[in-house]
Amino acid sequence: MASKEYDTFILSDLSGVPEDQEMEMILRDLTPTDRRYKYRSFYASAIVSKSESKYPDLLWVRLGRGQLQEKPWSIKIIKEVNKFG
Amino acid sequence: MPYPVFKDNREFIKALEVNNDLVTIQQEVDWDLELGAIVRRVCEKKSASPYFKKIKDYPGFEALGAPLATYKRLAIAMGMNPDASVPEISNEYVRRTTQEPVHPILVEKKKAPCKENIWLNKDADLLKLPGPMVHDGDGGRYLATWHFVVSKDPETASINWGMYRQMVFDEKTMVGPVLPFSDMGKMFYGKYVPKNKPMPFATVIGCDPLSGVAACAPSPIPEDQFAGMLMGRPVELVKCETCDLQVPAHAEIIIEGEVLPNIKIEEAPFGEYTGYRTSPREPRTVYRIKAITFRNNPIMTVSNMGIPTDEGQLLRSFSLGLEMRKLLESQGIPITGVYMLPESTHHLVVVGVKPAYSGIASQIANLVFGSKLSPWFTMVVVVDHETDIYSKDDVIHALCTKCHPSRGIRKYEQAPGTPLYPFADPEERKWSRGSQVLFDCTFPLDWPESDLPIKVSFNNVYPKEVREKVLKNWKSYGFKD
Ligand SMILES: Cc1cc2nc3c(=O)[nH]c(=O)nc-3n(C[C@H](O)[C@H](O)[C@H](O)COP(=O)(O)O)c2cc1C
Repeated sequence: MASKEYDTFILSDLSGVPEDQEMEMILRDLTPTDRRYKYRSFYASAIVSKSESKYPDLLWVRLGRGQLQEKPWSIKIIKEVNKFG
Repeated sequence: MPYPVFKDNREFIKALEVNNDLVTIQQEVDWDLELGAIVRRVCEKKSASPYFKKIKDYPGFEALGAPLATYKRLAIAMGMNPDASVPEISNEYVRRTTQEPVHPILVEKKKAPCKENIWLNKDADLLKLPGPMVHDGDGGRYLATWHFVVSKDPETASINWGMYRQMVFDEKTMVGPVLPFSDMGKMFYGKYVPKNKPMPFATVIGCDPLSGVAACAPSPIPEDQFAGMLMGRPVELVKCETCDLQVPAHAEIIIEGEVLPNIKIEEAPFGEYTGYRTSPREPRTVYRIKAITFRNNPIMTVSNMGIPTDEGQLLRSFSLGLEMRKLLESQGIPITGVYMLPESTHHLVVVGVKPAYSGIASQIANLVFGSKLSPWFTMVVVVDHETDIYSKDDVIHALCTKCHPSRGIRKYEQAPGTPLYPFADPEERKWSRGSQVLFDCTFPLDWPESDLPIKVSFNNVYPKEVREKVLKNWKSYGFKD
């Protein structure tokens, strides 16, 4: 099965983003089965790598004003985090 | 007196069509950027409003783009001649909105088209509505770009309608900036948050055009009455399904829910009215939804903010300028008019005045910068009564020749601002800090008459007989214009 794709906005310096350790982040689903749910956002606990192939899914990175970075990273989602109880 | 205005978005669409100001797009359009790109180009080219009949993935839903992005459309919405001039539309707007408030009336649910479909509980899913991805790089899909949010003051029961953008986060959640100095900001942060109470809200999408104009007008009159004043008849409202708020019965889509006091989530970036994506992605106000009601084949309204001219720029300039006019007139300042240029993204206002006494330009600036309107604009250009405030050429000429580069410019620092100002530094944006400036383009009154520069124009430096002769013979000289 083709890997899924997500994106996220990183507001800090990209070089400071920790790799290979679990962290909470907001992701947007870019490849849902029902296309109406594209860009649905969710909080997740996940592990990322700047290498495109290390984890199962692709993670596209955008900066604070929406600038898309050329190369995707990879991501493993551990779990979705519900913030609204 | 009722004016020939429209009770809903559908009648308005028909009027746009009759006036050759509508392009009906039958081919399928993708909500993911394509629709937004069309609306953007329409704004930049000042083309007719696009009416999208088929939206990808969302059969049965339609959309109207750039509903009020030109003065022609505003004139049509007001029931005026489509070719009415800006001063004519302005005078009519001021006339209608300085009369007695017109209170709304409540209609039964069965008479309210917005109740034709009701989604509650699990069915109330925001992603089942075709919220467009308006610009590439936006923080999410913006369902609410030309709409308003209804809320009620918990102490005075006063109603507020305001346009506060809303981004879809997930099925049940929207998020957006509610600036602290806005009416809803003062109500929510001042009266609900301290008590940790959720605030009921209803988002109205696809309302009649004048309710939209009222919602983005910075008037002290409650907008449900202000809309009635603009229409010359009461707005018809209906009760919500999940709270005691009331919403326009003829609107296309209503989203009901609560604004949460105890959590903020990230919103933005978004293409904004300044023509830039400026305000940071940061934690903002959260709307959790409980119900969605809508008309059969609902027609969304979509504005695409960016470089001029979109409806936000046009209508906010229009209503901000006219509220300033009311303020200055109420203070007896001998102004000849106020015009805020939409192309300035409502940052620059031109005030014409008879310079009856020294310091009048500062007095004007003090009043408008001291008013509730002030966070939304930064530059006041005061010109004399001989300058045509509606002519950019005339205003630029006055600015560049009459405004003394040091004496004529006065800075106002430590002013309220917004996070949306592209020129502000990140810290200023974070704390909504601004500054403002006055350009005084009047000649000082104490100059001797012999030292006063004389404007060299056809109308000003030729005797009447010569002007009349030239005008009479213009065509016979060979000129075609
Ligand atoms: C298209 C559009 C979008 C707007 N979005 C916001 C917003 O997200 N947050 C905000 O505080 N004001 C926003 N505004 C400005 C308010 O609508 C404006 O201040 C309006 O007058 C609200 O009423 P108030 O000033 O009486 O609160 C927007 C205006 C327009 C025209």
